[in-house]
Parts: sequence; C-alpha cells; structure tokens
Amino acid sequence: MADGTIKIDGRTVPFEKGDTVIKAAYKAGIDIPHYCWHPGLSAPANCRMCLVDVEPPPGRPKMQLDVLHWDAQTNDYVVGKKTKLIPACQQPCADGMSVLSDSSDEVSQARKTVQELLLLNHPVDCPICDQAGECDLQDYWLEHDRSKKRMMDEPVHKPKAEVFGETIVYDAERCIMCTRCIRVSKEVAKDPVLDMRQRGNRNEIFVAQGRTLDHEYSLMTEHVCPVGALTSNHFRFKARVWFLRSGRSVCQGCATGCNAYLDYDPRDNKPYRYRPRDNESVNGYWMCDSGMLSYPEAYEGRLETALVGGEDSDLADALEQAAEKLRGLESDGARVAIVLSAQHSCEDNLALAHVGKAFFGVKDLYVARRPDGEGDDILMHADKNSNSAGVRLVAEKLGLEPPRPMSALVEALGKDRYDYIVSLGAEVDCDASRLKEKLSKLKGFVALASHEGPLSKAAHIALPAASWAEAAGTYVNAKGHAQLADKVLVPRGAAHPAWQLVLALAKALGFTTDWKKRADLEGVLFPPALEEPSATPAPEAPATVEVQP
Amino acid sequence: MEPLDIELDEGELELPNDPMQVNMGPAHPAMHGTVRMVVELSGETITKVDVQIGYLHRGFEKMCERGTWTQVFPYVDRLNYASPMLNNVGFALAVEKMLGVTVPERCQHYRVVLGELARICDHLVCSGAMAMELGAFTPFLYFCKARELIWDVFEEETGARVTHSFGRVGGMAKEPTPAFKEMVRNALPAVRALIDDGEKLLLANRIFLDRIENVGVMPKDLAVALGWTGVVLRSTGVPYDVRKVHPYLTYDRYDFDVPVGTRGDNYDRFMCRQEEIRQSTRIIEQALEQMADEGPINIDDPRIVLPPKDEVYSTIEGTIQHFKIVMEGIKVPAGECYSYTEAGNGELGFYMVSDGSGTPYRVRIRPPCFATMQGIEKMIVGGMVPDVVPTFGSVNMIGGECDH
Repeated sequence: MADGTIKIDGRTVPFEKGDTVIKAAYKAGIDIPHYCWHPGLSAPANCRMCLVDVEPPPGRPKMQLDVLHWDAQTNDYVVGKKTKLIPACQQPCADGMSVLSDSSDEVSQARKTVQELLLLNHPVDCPICDQAGECDLQDYWLEHDRSKKRMMDEPVHKPKAEVFGETIVYDAERCIMCTRCIRVSKEVAKDPVLDMRQRGNRNEIFVAQGRTLDHEYSLMTEHVCPVGALTSNHFRFKARVWFLRSGRSVCQGCATGCNAYLDYDPRDNKPYRYRPRDNESVNGYWMCDSGMLSYPEAYEGRLETALVGGEDSDLADALEQAAEKLRGLESDGARVAIVLSAQHSCEDNLALAHVGKAFFGVKDLYVARRPDGEGDDILMHADKNSNSAGVRLVAEKLGLEPPRPMSALVEALGKDRYDYIVSLGAEVDCDASRLKEKLSKLKGFVALASHEGPLSKAAHIALPAASWAEAAGTYVNAKGHAQLADKVLVPRGAAHPAWQLVLALAKALGFTTDWKKRADLEGVLFPPALEEPSATPAPEAPATVEVQP
Repeated sequence: MEPLDIELDEGELELPNDPMQVNMGPAHPAMHGTVRMVVELSGETITKVDVQIGYLHRGFEKMCERGTWTQVFPYVDRLNYASPMLNNVGFALAVEKMLGVTVPERCQHYRVVLGELARICDHLVCSGAMAMELGAFTPFLYFCKARELIWDVFEEETGARVTHSFGRVGGMAKEPTPAFKEMVRNALPAVRALIDDGEKLLLANRIFLDRIENVGVMPKDLAVALGWTGVVLRSTGVPYDVRKVHPYLTYDRYDFDVPVGTRGDNYDRFMCRQEEIRQSTRIIEQALEQMADEGPINIDDPRIVLPPKDEVYSTIEGTIQHFKIVMEGIKVPAGECYSYTEAGNGELGFYMVSDGSGTPYRVRIRPPCFATMQGIEKMIVGGMVPDVVPTFGSVNMIGGECDH
C-alpha cells in the first residue's frame, strides 16, 4: 500500500513509509546505480554511486556548495557552484519529492567520477576473474564512465587470493570496500566475523583474529559482492558465467524451500551453482551454505538406469517386469504398501498415491524422508526434506490417513503385513540395515528413485526417476507455500519424471488416468493457478509417456 | 559377337522426336557459382529451362543469429566473394543505421575507395570469366593481372587478399596505411591500361561480338518487374544506381556517370561493366583527393569501438571495454531497419531486427543475384545451348549471396 509518491526524473513512483529513494526506485524497476546498497541490508552510503539530485521544496533555494573549477583558458581556478548531491540509499522518501537521476548532468558527472575513483587501483583482472560477465564495475563503467582514468601512478597493491574460510577466497585489490560482506555476516548470519581495517586506498576486509569465515551463510558474502573480490571456492575457475544459463528452481535442502536460480551449462547439462532468487515471503534474498552447495545432487549418486535384481536393465523391460510382479493385485490393498517421498514433487507423490488408492486399493501410506538435522532461526529448517507438507497434502486430497514414518513400515513388515511395496524416493530416516532385512522378504518390491539409496538397492526392480532439476514440479514448504521448480536440466541416463513412470507402470497393469501432462496433476492439488507462476516456463515434459512396456 | 541391333525391329530405329533434356550444372564448367539448369531442347533451340539455385546454401542468415553483430562480418565476406569489401561496408552501414551513428568523414572516403576497388575486381572477374568461357583466355589473364594489382592494395591494407573481414561497426578494423594513397594512385593507371588492352582483344573480335550481341535480351519493363538492380538492370536502359539515387557515404560529393545500355543483351551488360570500371576509377581518384591524411577512422564511442590493444592489456578500463564488446557484443537498440547499398551486382540490402541485445535477432539479406536469377529463363529460352554460356556469364550469379 503506497503512502505517497515521489518523482524520479519526472516519473511518478509510489513508496511505502520508511522507503528510501533507491528502494522506491528498485521496487518500480528503475535502476539507480549502486554498489554498497542491497535491498536486504542496511545502507552505509559509502560507495557514493547512487548520488542523486533531490530538488528543494517549492520556494526554497537549491542546496549548493562553492567549488573551484579549473579554467584551462585563463590557466587559473574560478569560483563556481555545485549542487549538493544526496545518496539515494539514505534519503527517505517524502510525498511530492522530486529526484533527478539520469536526467541531471551533475549526477552523471558524479557517477563518472565515482566510477573513475573505484577503478583507480583495480587490477587488470577481468580475463582471470570469475565475476567478469556479471560485474557491476564492468557494467557501470560502460554505462556511466566510458573514459580512461587520469591517474598515472602505479596502483596500490594489496593481498590477493587470501583464504577467508573453507568457502571463500578474498582478493583485496579487486575490493571496492562496499562492506556488503561485512553487513551480510553481521545482519543476516548474526556473526560479525568480518570487518575492515586501514584507511583510504589501503583499506581491506579482514576476518576477526582467531576466526575463519565459517558461519552458515558465508556464501552469501560472495553472492552480494558486486565485484570479484570475494569468490566461492566451489565455483572458482569452474565455469564462465556467459556460458551458463539459469533455471528457476527451488532448493531441496530443507523444508524452507528457498527460491533459487540453478545455473547450468547447457553444453554439458551440468549445474555449476545455485543463486538465491529473491522472494520476500520465503527466503528474502538469501540461502544457507548447505543449500547453496546442494546443486551437485543433480548429478552425484544418481540412479541413471533401471535395475532388475540389481543388474542394469532397459527401462521398457524393467517396467514390464515390474508390471509382472504387481499383476493381479487389483483391489488387494491390504497386501500392498505405498511409500511416498518427502523429497519428490507433489506431482510424483500424487501419481503414486492415486494409483495406490484407486488401483490397489491401499489404505496405508508411508513416507520416505531424509532424517532431520540442524535448524536455525534464520532460514534453515530442521526438516531436511523439501516436500513434507506436500506429501501430507497429497494424502489429504485423496482422503487417506497421513503417511506414516518408515519406522512404522519396518514394524509392519516385521508382522508380515505386506507382500508388495511400491516406493518413491531414495533416502530413509530409519535403520537402513533393519529395513533392508525386512524388505528382502517381500514378494514384489518396485522402487522409483532419482538417487541410489537403501530402497533402490533392496528393490526387485528400481526405476530411474528424474531429479528435481530435471522435471518441473511443485513443492510445498513448511510455511505452506506451494512453489514451482522449473525443469532446468535434461534428465540423465534413462531417467524420466517419476509421475510418468508411475503412470506407465499403471498402464501396463491396465489402469489408466486422464492425466497427460504435469499441469493436469498440479491442477488436482492446487485448483487455482499458483501465486507465482513461472514467468518463462521451461519446456514442458513430453505430453505422453515415451516408455511403453 | 553378334551385332547389338540384331533383334530390333525396323520401326524402332526411327529418330526419337521427344524433346531432349540436357542437364547443365551444378558442377558444370560454365555454371560457375554452382547452379543447375535443366534445359529442354527442340533440335538445337532451347524450349524450356528450369533454373535451380541453392547448391551453396549455408544457412548464413541463421548463423548470424548466434554470435555478436561484429561476428557477422566474416559471413558477409562470403556473400559476394568477388567483392567482399562492398558487403562489409554494406553490413557496417546497416548496423550503424540502427545505432544512429555516422562514421568520420575520413572513414567514409576510405570505405568508398576500398569499395570501388572491390567493384572493379568484381566486374573484372565477371567480364574476364565470361570471355574465357567463350574461348578468349588471354583477356581473362589481362583482367586477372589488373585484379592482382588491386589485391596487392587490399593485402597491404587489410592483411588479406580475398576475405578481408575488414569492416567494423563504427569504422574499419585499421587505419589506412601511410602508403595507401600512393599505392592506389600507382595501381590505377596500370589497371586501366590492362583493361583497355584486354578490351581491345575482345571488341575487335567478330566471334566474341556475334556471341554476345542480341543474345540474352531482357526488356526494360520486365527487368524492373523482376526486381532487377545493378548492371543487369542498367544494361536495359534504367539508370538506377543506389549510389546516385539514394546516395550513402560520400557518394553525393563525387562526379561520376551511370552508364546504361539500350537493348539489355549480353553486349550491353559487358559494356556497362567496362564503363563502370572506368567510372569507379574516377570516383577513387576524387575520394583520394578529398580524404584527409590525418584524423579518426572510427567513431569515438567506447560502447561501439574496441580500444587499442595495448590499452586492453595494460589498463582496466581498456580491458572492460574490450570485454563488454567482445563477450556481450555491441548493444544495438531494439528495432528494425532496411539498409541498402550498391554492391557489385546491384542493390545489396540488409533487413535486420534487433531485440536490444548484442546479438542480431534476425538478419535478412536481399542479394541482387536472387532477383536476377528469376529472369534467366526469359533470356535463355529461344536461344541455343551455346548462348547459355555468355548469358549466364554476363549476369554474374554468385552463389554465396544468392543462396541464403
């Protein structure tokens, strides 16, 4: 709800109480160049890049300073006037305020001079710098400066490749002292482990004595760094950003469901990093380190081929054999258990639960999930599964009891309650060896999994499912936000979206649904469109299941 | 061994009266430029011809959508490879039109000189090859020698003899060499003398004249209707020359004539080319006269023109400028444009769309040859097979620009 409007270069921009000029502009999509300001951090106004000309109230004189201009013709200084410019990141909006940004020559001159100053001691590093291609210094130089610096002296040299911690390497020469990393540590991670020392062009960032940069949000310091001063040990020298493409994903590390961009190289179909995707109602602007470093799960430990009795098999054959195992069990629900997965999308779980209920007539659902871990009061949730709430939602929609934990399945298997299991997911939160022992007595066990794990190993037939990055899917976080993660990568090996595999298996058993594409399943769970539909939807999964038994 | 016709009835020995089909090309010595003509003959007279182009199709327009605007230059070199510099300049002018910039005057004269030199080469190759295909090998060598003199200038200026990739958005790749004017001024008289000599060998030759006069006639109105431009159009009597009608660069400052023909036959096309060569030398002399010896060649805008190499290696500003232009490309404002110049064969047009990024969204070329090839059938039908050779030779079909 707007509390008033200001004018930026004559354009009316609404603001809320407490907004600064730059924040109002940011929300309106107007770019006021800046280095030190970040929407999620406090504003120290130290880079001076966002200086704007705030026009005086009506009837008041313009605030001006006396300055000396060099006059080349008379070879002498002449007294002149200069408008007092105000940093947009610290100037609160007032109703009716008029701000000149791009339209003021004095502002343009100030930006040019600030940019020249920031590059005075900058090393010629672009060819070897990971930031090149997404560096504000590069962008703003071309946009606002476009001239050579006037300083002829040798630039100041400072430490390079200083190790700040396990994740971060610091290059003091590239640093422009915006202090974003200091503020991230202090304000987001609540661990003020970074600070700056020295003054002027000797200025540099340092880690508190006896410490390393080891808090859970250390990669956020690199994420906010507008230049190449902080680089991530995991991304350093691995890829060039102009070769990467971004997909809109959702972090699978815990039940917070942080919005993220998954940056991947389309040439090798491999992800290289996560970047937080701004979402005020979920993760703000941030992600934790364990989430940021979970992108290799898209290719590590994957189940890429179908397994029949532990041996690699053709997917079509495996589906046929799986159907063979489960044939004749229609409405024999008491002997069949369905295991859902808190790490698979709602669509995958819905397909399996629906087939379980409507075809086998099962009453009992179980859920495979990763064991709980550490949580904090910032972003990390103790539930390390991305879709626990989604699984409960699926059961509720189908009118079934909430899924029971795997320990209950172990117990039930101990009483020989089930002869057949169809499971989804890889990891379990119970004693794996005990589970395996019980599972070995089953007559038929079909596991769908994106990764190798106790379930896929124990199964008679394991079918390779697409990972979260390889199929679009909806995930419900702990706060109940249903969020769509786009298809980013091409499925590895023979992997297919799990819901497609489930439907193909059901079809082989003689059970068909009218679900043809992923949106059909999403529509069952979330009748109206999601709050935030993907602006650029990824190519939809093939409408029909290609694998036919 | 028994005679082969032992079992044939007498009736079957009759002469066949079906029209005969003769296939010329795409790899026929007279079909330079990889084009195929399926000719249907009644006796020796051509009754029907099916002209098939596309044998040199490389997906040039699609390739342009991949790299940056600057990376298109090597592709346009290979459009009309007989005069790459004219294509370079044509494309540079098109991008500059979208950017709304004009190169410095010195560069405009420089582009004119290099372009006209390329036009001379283009016409020399066409006329020479046409004569050679009619058996006159000596004039071809004369013309090649003249071209050689011009190529020496190109080699000195651009470092390459054929595919220069010398044009740049906002200027040229390099400044003119200090000896540029002198080299061109020395070369021109020699080129003219060679052309005069070569021409004398042809125009006093009865056989040559008989094979080109009143052969491959194209009426004026049909040429206009088919969208013909360039020499082939002017030979029919239409004085349309982009340089005169819609002057670009500094063409409005030179005194030159547009030669036209009267009948639109092979002779007129040949003679128009020869005269255009002489007019080009006139333009070159005037341009050299007007071109300043000092001054910038490239426009002064770091967003468009690359910095000097030593600055790239030693200053951060130069590195950034280089990086932004090379890795992201010149940002051309979103929009579309049609820009056209007089290339060797006529109006070479570029219709381009930009989405505001550093990569072309669409590059559509309007090659002069493409329109010309529509009219080949009209010129050939009614003639004889030997007429195909000079007629096709005189339109100077270049597969590189035609197939797109």
